[in-house]
Amino acid sequence: MSERTDLPPQPSRRTLLRAGVGAAGSVLLPASVALPALAEEQHPPIGTWPAGASGDSVFIGISVPRTGTYAVQGEDELKGYQLAIEHINEGHPLIKAISPKTTKGVLGKQLKFGVADSAAKPNEAVQAQQRFITENKAIMITGGTSSAVAVALNKLAQREKVLFVCGISGSNDTTGKDCVRYGVRQNFYGQTAANAIGPVLLKVYGKNRKAAFMTPDYTYGHTVTKSVNDYLTKNGGWTMVTNQVSPLGAPDYSSYLTNIANSGAEVLVNVNWGHDAVLSTQQAKRFGLLPKMKLVIPYQIPFLAREVGADVTEGVYAATDFWWTLGDKYPLAKQFVDAFDKKFGYKPEWGAENAYMEFALWAEAVEHAGSFYPPDVIKSYESPRKLNSVVGEVSWRPQDHQLIRPVIIVRGKKPSEMRNKEDFWEVVEVVPGAGLMQAPTAFGCNPGSYT
Amino acid sequence: MTRRRRVILEVIAALLLIAAPFVLPYLNAAPNTVNRILVWGLFGLGFDILFGYTGLLSFGQSAFYGTGGFVAAYLLTRAGFPHVITALVIGMAVAAVVGYLIGLLALRRTGIYFAMITVAIAEIFFFVEFNPLSEWTGGENGLPGVPTPKLALGFTTLDFSSGWSLYPFLAFCYFVGLVLALRIVHSPVGSVLVAIRENPLRAAALGHDVWAYKITAFVIAAAYAGLAGGLLGVLQGFMPPDAFMFETSGQLIIQTAIGGSGTLVGPLVGAAVWLFLQDFLQATLKLGAAWKLVLGIVFVLLVCFLRQGIIGGLKALALGARRRAPAPAQEAAAVPLSAEEQQAAAQARVQREQRHVAAMPAAHHADASFRGPILQATGLTKRFGGVVANEGIDFSVRAGELRGIIGPNGAGKSTFFKMLTCEIAPTAGRIVFEGRDITGLGVTDVCQLGLTKSYQVNQLFNRLTVRQNVEIAALAELRGKFKLDLLRSVNSVPGLGEQVQHTLALVNLTERADAPVAELAYGEKRRLEVGLALASSPSLLLLDEPLAGMSPSERVETVALLKSIAQGRTMIVIDHDMDALFELAERITVLQEGRLLVEGTPQDIKDNPLVQEAYLGGIQEPLEHEPA
Amino acid sequence: MLSWTNFWSQLFNGLALGALLALISSGLTIIYGTLGVLNLAHGAMFMLGGYAGYAAWQATGSFLLALLAGTLGLGLLGVLMERVVIRHFYARPPEDQLLVTFGLSICFVEAVRFIFSSNSLSVPAPEALSGISSLGIMMYPTYRLAVVGICALALLVLYVVLYRTRLGLIVRAGIDDAVMVDSLGIDVYRVFMVVFGIGAMAAGFAGIVNAPVVSLTPEVGEAILVQTFVVVVIGGVGSFPGAILGGLIAGEIISLTSMVNPGYAYVMLFAAMTLVLLLRPHGLLGVRGRE
Repeated sequence: MSERTDLPPQPSRRTLLRAGVGAAGSVLLPASVALPALAEEQHPPIGTWPAGASGDSVFIGISVPRTGTYAVQGEDELKGYQLAIEHINEGHPLIKAISPKTTKGVLGKQLKFGVADSAAKPNEAVQAQQRFITENKAIMITGGTSSAVAVALNKLAQREKVLFVCGISGSNDTTGKDCVRYGVRQNFYGQTAANAIGPVLLKVYGKNRKAAFMTPDYTYGHTVTKSVNDYLTKNGGWTMVTNQVSPLGAPDYSSYLTNIANSGAEVLVNVNWGHDAVLSTQQAKRFGLLPKMKLVIPYQIPFLAREVGADVTEGVYAATDFWWTLGDKYPLAKQFVDAFDKKFGYKPEWGAENAYMEFALWAEAVEHAGSFYPPDVIKSYESPRKLNSVVGEVSWRPQDHQLIRPVIIVRGKKPSEMRNKEDFWEVVEVVPGAGLMQAPTAFGCNPGSYT
Repeated sequence: MTRRRRVILEVIAALLLIAAPFVLPYLNAAPNTVNRILVWGLFGLGFDILFGYTGLLSFGQSAFYGTGGFVAAYLLTRAGFPHVITALVIGMAVAAVVGYLIGLLALRRTGIYFAMITVAIAEIFFFVEFNPLSEWTGGENGLPGVPTPKLALGFTTLDFSSGWSLYPFLAFCYFVGLVLALRIVHSPVGSVLVAIRENPLRAAALGHDVWAYKITAFVIAAAYAGLAGGLLGVLQGFMPPDAFMFETSGQLIIQTAIGGSGTLVGPLVGAAVWLFLQDFLQATLKLGAAWKLVLGIVFVLLVCFLRQGIIGGLKALALGARRRAPAPAQEAAAVPLSAEEQQAAAQARVQREQRHVAAMPAAHHADASFRGPILQATGLTKRFGGVVANEGIDFSVRAGELRGIIGPNGAGKSTFFKMLTCEIAPTAGRIVFEGRDITGLGVTDVCQLGLTKSYQVNQLFNRLTVRQNVEIAALAELRGKFKLDLLRSVNSVPGLGEQVQHTLALVNLTERADAPVAELAYGEKRRLEVGLALASSPSLLLLDEPLAGMSPSERVETVALLKSIAQGRTMIVIDHDMDALFELAERITVLQEGRLLVEGTPQDIKDNPLVQEAYLGGIQEPLEHEPA
Repeated sequence: MLSWTNFWSQLFNGLALGALLALISSGLTIIYGTLGVLNLAHGAMFMLGGYAGYAAWQATGSFLLALLAGTLGLGLLGVLMERVVIRHFYARPPEDQLLVTFGLSICFVEAVRFIFSSNSLSVPAPEALSGISSLGIMMYPTYRLAVVGICALALLVLYVVLYRTRLGLIVRAGIDDAVMVDSLGIDVYRVFMVVFGIGAMAAGFAGIVNAPVVSLTPEVGEAILVQTFVVVVIGGVGSFPGAILGGLIAGEIISLTSMVNPGYAYVMLFAAMTLVLLLRPHGLLGVRGRE
C-alpha cells in the first residue's frame, strides 16, 4: 500500500558502484604487490609467481592429517617432508644424487613451510591451502593421505595455478579422471597395486578362490577394490562373495564382519586404511575370522604391523611403495633410512619415503627448468628423462604426471624370525612399474591448461 | 524502527562493505577469510531470524546449508549447467522446499524436543548424503570444480574469480540478504515472530496461527542456509561434505551466540571472532589443536555471563546510557490513607476525569446476524485423569450481557474458561458461539471468531513495550490468523496505529506506551492484560479475575474501566471480589466443585442459602471437610 | 546377504548394541524427565567414562578399577556439573540450557583431545572375558557377549534404584511433577543433583564397558548422542521402560539393516523416528503432556 519510493534508485546505484569498485579492485589489489625486477619478466604473473619466488626463500604449504583416522600416517609423512626440506636447504648428498643441479635450497632459495591439520577432510585442507596461497604466496602445495583431499587439492591447484605435489594418495582417480595439469603424483596406486600383487596372490593361493572385500567408502576405497577385484576375477577366476563398504572412521565393524563370516569367503581383502585398517583387522581377529581366513592388504598401511601385532600380519601379503629393508638392495634407500632413523629414532614407513621423494623430485624438476615459473616447471616434469630414486631408476609419465616406479610386494614375517623391533615385513618382489600401469587415457585423464 | 532509521542502517552497512577491501588488508585480513565471514554471516542471517527472533533453536541448519550447496554444485559440475547465479538460486529454492518438509516434521514438537529432533535430522542428512546419495554428492570427495560466477552486463563482463575479486559478489549477496532480513524483521510477520518467542501461548490466544508463522521462519532460515551453502561451493571451488556435518550447525550456533542473537549482524561478528581466534590461537599463540578448547570455554562463559553476545551487549550499553528508567507512575499519595479513604479518592478522581473515549466496537463475530444467545454451552465436562474439574455444566449468555461467575476456590472456574476459549478440549459437552459449534476448534480460530480472554496471571510479552504488546494483538485483529506480508513495514499496516491508540486510550495507558512491560506497576500490567484482549475486538470478552491482587483504589479504577469497555460487547467476568462483581454484573453464575450451583441476579445470589453454604461450608453443621 | 545364519547373528549384534543404547538412553531420559534439561553433553560423558577408565587402566592394569573410575568419576563429574553450572540455568529459558550443555560437550571433547591426543586408544578386555565363544551358529567375541550381560545387569540395578527405593520414588515423582515434589517439602534441588549424577554414571559406565569393543577417540560421543536422541524420541521422554524398549528397537534396526546394506542403517533409524513422530508423537511409552 505505501510506496517504497526510496528503494528503486538506490540499490541499483549501489550495485553499479560496487561492481565498479569490484572490477577496479580486482585489477588494483593484486597489482599492488611490487613486481620485482627479475629476468623472468617476459611472462605475465600467474598464480603466486613471481611474487612467491621473489625473495630469498620460497614457501611450501603442507596439509597433513594430524588428527582423525589417518593421524598416525600423517605425522610420518610430515617427518618425511621435514627431512627433505632440511636436506634440500643444506644440499645433502642424498638430494644431490636425485637432483644433481641442487647446490643449496632450490635455485639458491631456502625453503620455508607451513603445516596445517587437514584431519583427512577435503574442506580443511582446501581452506588451509587457500590461506597459504594468498597469505604466504606458497609456490608449491602438498597434502593428501586421503585421496579425497588429494582430488580436492588437485582442483584447487588448477584453479589457483599453484603446483600441487601430491602426498599419499592411492586412488586411481588422482591421476585418472580427476587429474590436472598442475598436479603430480609419485606413489603407487590402486591399478599398479592390483597388477603387482595379483600374480603373487594367484601363485600363493591358487585359482577360483572366494574373496570378501572390506572397502572404505570413498574414491580410494572404491577404485582399489575395483582394480584388485578385476585382476583376480579376470586372471584367476576368483569371485567376490561380498563387498562390505564402511564409512571412513567407523568404530565398530561387527555388522560387516558378521556378514563376512557368513559369506563363505576364504580370503579377506582389507582395503581399509589408517586406523580403520587397524580396527577392522583387530575386530576380525576377535570375531574369529583370522587366521581362519587369509588376510590380504593390497595397499599397505604404515604402522599397521606395529599396531595389530606381528602375529596378525604373519604371512600376510601386501603391496607397498617402500620398506626399509630395501636399503640392502638400493644404496640411496640405505642413505635415506639411515638419515631418517638418525633424526627421528625409527625406521621410515612408506609415507615418509613418499614425502621425501616427492620433494626431492620437485627440487629436481625446478632445477631442471631453471625457474619457478609454473608452466616451465610442469614442462620440466613432462620432459622424458631418467631419474634416480630410493627404489632405483624412475621417470615421469607426461600424459598424467604419474611417476613410473616399481611396486614392492612384502610378506609379514613370523614374530620369531624378526631380527629387531621393526622387522615386520619381508620384501618378496620388486615389480617394475611400467608394465603395471593402465594406458594414459584409460581412466579418463584430461589435464587442463598450463595457464 | 522507523523507515528512516532502517535506511540509515542499510547505508552504513553498504558503506562498511564497500570500505572493507580497502581497509582490512592493513589489518592483515586475508581475502579468503573475509569471504568466508560473509558466507557465514549470510547463513547466520536466516538462523538469527529463526532463533534470535522466533526463539527456535535448531541444531539442523547444516542440512539445508548442505542441500542448497550440493544442488547448486551438482548443477554446475556434473550437470554442466552454465549459469552460476541461476544455479545458486535453484539451490536456495530446493533448500527452502526441503526446509518446509522437514519443518512439517520437526515443528510437531516445541522447545527442547524440537531441538533434539533437529540434532537427529542434521546427523541423518549427513549420513544419507554420504552414502546412499554418494552418486550425486560425490560422497567423501564432495563435488570439486565449482566455477565462479560471471556476470554479463552488456557493455562488460564481470568475472569474479577468487580472493578480493570474488568479494564484491559475496558482499552484494550479503547486503541483499541483510536488507531483506531487515524488512522481514520489521514487517508484521517479524512482530509476530517476536511474540512467539516471548510468549507463544498468548500469541496463539490473540489469534495468530503460531504453527504457520514458525514454519515460515523455518523456511526462511532454510533458504538463507541454502544460498550460503551454494556460495561456499563457489568460494572454495569445491563443495565439501563437511557442509552437512553436525559441527557446521554447531559452529553456526556458537558464532551467533558470540555475536549476539536477535541482532541480525551478530552471526557476522561471531564468524569474524571465530575465524580470527582460529588463526590467532593456532598461529600466534601456537596452541595447535587446543584452540577449539579455548573457544569452547569462551563460549560457555559467554552463555553464562554475556548471553546477549557482543552486539547485544553493546546495544544494552547504548540503551542503558540513553534511557534513564523513569520511576513507574505511582498513584501513591504523600500521606498514607486508609482503605476507604483511598477508595473514595479514587472514585472522585474517576468521576472527575470522565474520560470520553469512544467505545471500541466488536469487530469479530462468528455470525453477526445470529439472534440467539451469544454463547451456549451444554453438558460441559472436563476430567483430568481421576479428577473431575467440571461436570455437566449448562451455561448460556445473552448478547450484550455482563455476566459474573463466582465460586469458592477449586470450583473449576478457570478450567471452565479454558474450555470456553478452546484452550483445552472438553471431555464431553458442546459449545456454541453465535450459533456456531466451536467445540474442538483451537484457541486461535476462536479468537478470530471474536471470543477471547484476559488471563488471571498476566500473560504479557515481557520484554516488549506496551505499544508493541498491543500491536501484536491488533495485528491479528487486522490481518487474520496468518498473512505472509514479509516485505511491508509494520508501521504501514492500515488501521494499526488507530487500533493501538484507541486501545491504549481505553485502558488508560497512553502515557506509558513506550515503557517496557518490566517497568510497569502491577495495576498497569493488569490494564495492559485487559488491553491485549480488547485489541482483538472481540464480541465476547472473558475476563479471568481482572481485579486479582489490586489495591482498593486500583479496584475502583478497574471497575470503571470494565464498565466502559463493556459497551458494544458481551462480557463474562470471573472474580472473587463480590462487591465489585455485584456492582458490575447483571446476572451471576455460581460454580461449586465443578458443577453449576445456581444462577440469578446479584441480589438473588446474595440471599441464596446454598451459596452461603458453599462459601462457609454450612452455617449450623460443624466443618466436616475443608471448602473445596 | 540374506541368510538365516546371518539373520540370527545380526539379531544378536543388535541385542548387544541395543543393550548399550538402552543404558545410555536411560541416563539421558531420567535427566530430561526430572530436570527438564536435555543434556547435550551426554555423549561427551560416555566418551569421558571411557577415557577415565583408560587412565585408570594405564595406571593400575586392572579392568575392574577402570570400570570403577569410569563410573564413579563420571558420577562425580555429573554432580559437579549440576552444582556449578546447570543449577543456575533452571530459571533461564530452555534454549540457554541447551547452549550451555552443548558448550560443555565441546569443552569436554577438546580437553580430552588436548590431554590424550586424537589418536585412538584401546583398553583390552579383561583376561577372563577375552577370546571367542562359539554360539552354535556363529563365533562371537566373548567380551561382546559379556557386554550384553553387563548392560542388562546395570539396567537391573537402575530399575531397582528407581522402583524399589525411596530415592527412586522421589525421582519418579520428580519426573511426573517436580513442583509438587518441591511443595511436599523435599529438597528438589538435591534430587536434581542426584539424578544428574546417576544419569552421568550410566553414561560413564557404558563408556568404559564399551571401550574394549571399539577404540576410544574423542569423537565416539557424537555418534552415540544422536542415536540416544533417536532412542528417547522413539521410547518416550522421561520413561525408563521407554528407553529400554527404544534402545532395543534402535539396536535391532541398525543391525538388521546392516544385513542388507550397512549404509542405510541410519536412514532406517530416521525413518523409524519419523514414523513415531507422525503416529505417536509422545513416543511408544511416553506420557502425553510431557514436553
